[in-house]
Amino acid sequence: MKEKADVLQGTLALMVLKTLNVLGSLHGYGIARRIEQISGDLLSVNQGTLYPVLLKLEQEGSIASEWGASENNRRARFYRLTRDGRKQLQAETRGWEQTAAIIGRFFAAKAEDFQ
Amino acid sequence: MRALRRFFNRLIFWTKVQQDEDRLQAEIEEHLALQTAENVRVGLSPTEARRQAVLKFGAVESIREDYRAQKGLPFLETLIQDTRYALRRLRKSPAFTITTVLTLALGIGATTSIFTLVHAVIMRSLPVANPAELYRLGKESRCCYWGGYSQNEEFSLVSYDLYKYFRDNTKGFAELAAFGASCDLFGVRRSGGSEAAQGYPGEFVSGNYFRMFGVSAHAGRVLTPSDDRAGAPPVAVMSYRLWEQRYASDQSVIGSVFNLDDKPFTVVGITPPGFFGDTLRNDPPDFFLPLAAENDDLNKPDTHWLDLIGRIRPSTGPASIEAEMRVELKQWLRSHWGEMIANDRAKFPEQTLYLSPGGAGITSMREQYQHWLQILMMVTALVLLIVCANVANLILVRGLERRRQTALNMALGAQASRLVRQALTESMLLSLLGGAAGLAIAFAGTRLILHYAFPPFRGMTGVPISASPSMPVLLFAFAASLVTGIGFGVAPAWMAARVDPIEALRGASRSTARTGSLPRKTLVVFQAALSLVLLSASGLLTAALYHLETQDFGFDQERRIVVNFDPRLAGYRPEQFTPLYQRIRDSLSSIPGVSAAALCIYSPLSGNNWGAVVWVDGHPHPGPKDEAFVSWDRVTQGYFHVIGNPIIRGRGISEQDTASSRHVAVINEAFARKFFKNEDPIGRQFGRDEMGARQYEVVGIAKDARYLTFGFDQPIGPFFFLPEAQHDFSPNAEQTEVSPSSHLLHDIVIVTRPGASLRFAQVRQAMASVDPNLPIVWIRTLKEQVAGQFRQQRLIARLTSFFGVLSLVLASIGMYGVTAYNAGRRVNEIGVRMALGADRGHVIALILRGAFALILFGLLIGLPLTFAAGRFLGSQLYGFNTYDPLVTFVAVVTLGLSALAASLIPAFRASFISPLEALRAE
Repeated sequence: MKEKADVLQGTLALMVLKTLNVLGSLHGYGIARRIEQISGDLLSVNQGTLYPVLLKLEQEGSIASEWGASENNRRARFYRLTRDGRKQLQAETRGWEQTAAIIGRFFAAKAEDFQ
Repeated sequence: MRALRRFFNRLIFWTKVQQDEDRLQAEIEEHLALQTAENVRVGLSPTEARRQAVLKFGAVESIREDYRAQKGLPFLETLIQDTRYALRRLRKSPAFTITTVLTLALGIGATTSIFTLVHAVIMRSLPVANPAELYRLGKESRCCYWGGYSQNEEFSLVSYDLYKYFRDNTKGFAELAAFGASCDLFGVRRSGGSEAAQGYPGEFVSGNYFRMFGVSAHAGRVLTPSDDRAGAPPVAVMSYRLWEQRYASDQSVIGSVFNLDDKPFTVVGITPPGFFGDTLRNDPPDFFLPLAAENDDLNKPDTHWLDLIGRIRPSTGPASIEAEMRVELKQWLRSHWGEMIANDRAKFPEQTLYLSPGGAGITSMREQYQHWLQILMMVTALVLLIVCANVANLILVRGLERRRQTALNMALGAQASRLVRQALTESMLLSLLGGAAGLAIAFAGTRLILHYAFPPFRGMTGVPISASPSMPVLLFAFAASLVTGIGFGVAPAWMAARVDPIEALRGASRSTARTGSLPRKTLVVFQAALSLVLLSASGLLTAALYHLETQDFGFDQERRIVVNFDPRLAGYRPEQFTPLYQRIRDSLSSIPGVSAAALCIYSPLSGNNWGAVVWVDGHPHPGPKDEAFVSWDRVTQGYFHVIGNPIIRGRGISEQDTASSRHVAVINEAFARKFFKNEDPIGRQFGRDEMGARQYEVVGIAKDARYLTFGFDQPIGPFFFLPEAQHDFSPNAEQTEVSPSSHLLHDIVIVTRPGASLRFAQVRQAMASVDPNLPIVWIRTLKEQVAGQFRQQRLIARLTSFFGVLSLVLASIGMYGVTAYNAGRRVNEIGVRMALGADRGHVIALILRGAFALILFGLLIGLPLTFAAGRFLGSQLYGFNTYDPLVTFVAVVTLGLSALAASLIPAFRASFISPLEALRAE
């Protein structure tokens, strides 16, 4: 059995932003599915956890939402990225890449590098 | 930024709770439907598909809670919840709520009302433009005239000549204005009107006075420099107060002519409503007149009677202006070197001046009342502390009664922090309610204090201090409420959180007497200590006042009436004064019941005095370091008999002292002691100022009498009396009269026969029979005049006593509460004791012993504090000992008796406990 990673709230928010950036307007279920697919089921996250995050992002103005019709023609709430959200995503992406690069370098380092 | 936006969004979201609940519900439904459909697609049965979907979604209730926490403002929500809960609880115990709110209102109201005065007198700036730019000459405020070319310590009053020199040469001032240091009464009559002249205060100000303050007229125009020029048409600006209260805001006042001391002035404008001139005082000027209209002292370069306030240029600092003006002062003094007497020349090197911030104007009132207000502020702060202790006690009792409930709450999982917050919310709510009620008390209290401290003068509002709360006062009351709320709320809140559920649920009757009573006992000890301080402070102030009022004044207060009038306002010239005084004396003496009447410049304790440097014949001329400055008065014949001041040797002023006879003087004992140590003063000669040493021959010695209204802690100083009929001339070639205005006697003293009653109307009638136009400024008994001197002291002593009694009552209630509560909790113990043979007396002693241990502790802490309080009162006791053992003893006994009374009731009640019943209750 593959070990599943705990997901920090901030990370989940970033995933939501990225998903919306790539796919445009999407409802909650769609976002959850997409995150599951991309992370390859490695994340242990109850899908419901997503909704408080969506609300927080909406309050911060990163995403906006409106009612629309889903695939099976039911009333669903559709979320999309706002201009602020796009900026936030760019900033946080840079931050992540930097962090990842630094951590990566540490992991790549061999004993002789420290001498 | 984002956090802020989120906060506002949360606020908005929070208002649409229900709508959002629905939205989440809809989203969840949709989510589950989509997931189920997906699961069905991969081959699960519909039931299993739904089950898997729900599993995958997670615990709906926990997510919903999370969502809610995300959505709203949990802090605000609990606050509102707590507030609602607290309100409900307060409503359920109205007696407790009303008592607490009233107690708090008293404490907060008293503090706020004193703060209103502190703010108005000590902290507030003048209502003018940019008061921070204003600077004034002088460190202290000085009154009112200073002659010669040297001033002690600092040069702070200036002559018109020196003002012009400063104004024209000091570059750092954008505008430098001058105004008279005294604000005199003018006899005012509207031209063409038929009414008699009325006395209103007026002030001479420079033409740029209003421009310097940045004040423009409410109606008409203000004075301008062109009005303040020799030969300019005489104009005046009237105060809004007079215009509104006497002339009903009549527009025709502007442009009409008013006669001030029989000189016509055209009123050109009205000051704005809040403006009261340069000095906060009891009786602010009603007329502002240009300096050029003054014609007694204007052109005397050595008569200093002006205060200066200037607006500095924003680019310059006061220090550089001060340096500049010091140089200018020296230059100006040097230019008058020829006119300076030897003393002035000797003091020339030390002459200097200081600038101080002038935004509050001339702060004589601040200097006068600062210490009083500090005392009152301290007193009310102590009262507030006692109030806090009392309310804390009440709440502690409530907390103890609710122990079971609290314990239940905790057993069911309530957080300790939440319980504390709940308790604090309740106390905050109480203190805010108390603060709101306190504002009403403060408003009434301030009005009352203002009314007694500064009684309305001539039927018009006096001191320009408003009792209605201003923004700073409101803020103060709010802050006081918050601090109070925390002050009395913390201990009970802390107690609430410390409840041990098991202990409490086991049953209140099982707990021992000790638990939970320590904080309450501490509070009672604290209250006892504070009320002892307040009691002894009020005792000291009352005793000092008693000493002041019952001292030997040296004159007789009974059966004496003082009439203040001003013959100049009726157009009398100085040469007509002597016969006028004779007619007045005759007319008044002929009233049935009147024994005699006499006139003087200043009757005793009327608030002013005339000073002179004395040179005694046979002694060297007094040098600058000699203290030869004494006070004097000019009186008509028969004065000493009328005022009841005994002549100890020689004679008083009599009809034989005429204009042509030998110039004589009557001195007081202090004068004799100071200038004629071991010699007989009768027949000796002395003079005043520069008139030589042989001006007057001493013909009598009067008993020392209190004339001056300051230095009550000092022995009575040297004083001499001159006859009205004799005029003094300087010995130089021109033979000019020295101080001719000292012949204007404005106080008439009347003594009635024993048993006779005299109505003021009879006095007015008799005065009118002399001349119906003679304006009477006021009539009062000498007793009132003397009592009026101690109005402040009386007010302070009464207020402090009131607060002292209040604190005693509060402390007694606290004491009663603690004793009763402890006795109640010891019912079992007492029952056992009685069953084992203790009698009633034992039980009473048991309870009283506990109570008195507390009082003893209170005394131990309070006694050193009373000494500190005595030191703090210090100079306000007028020489009365600050460690009066009798006062302390009385305070201790009063406190002890009240404590005894407060604890006797519960002690007796405890002694009637039936052992059987007590034990059965177990």
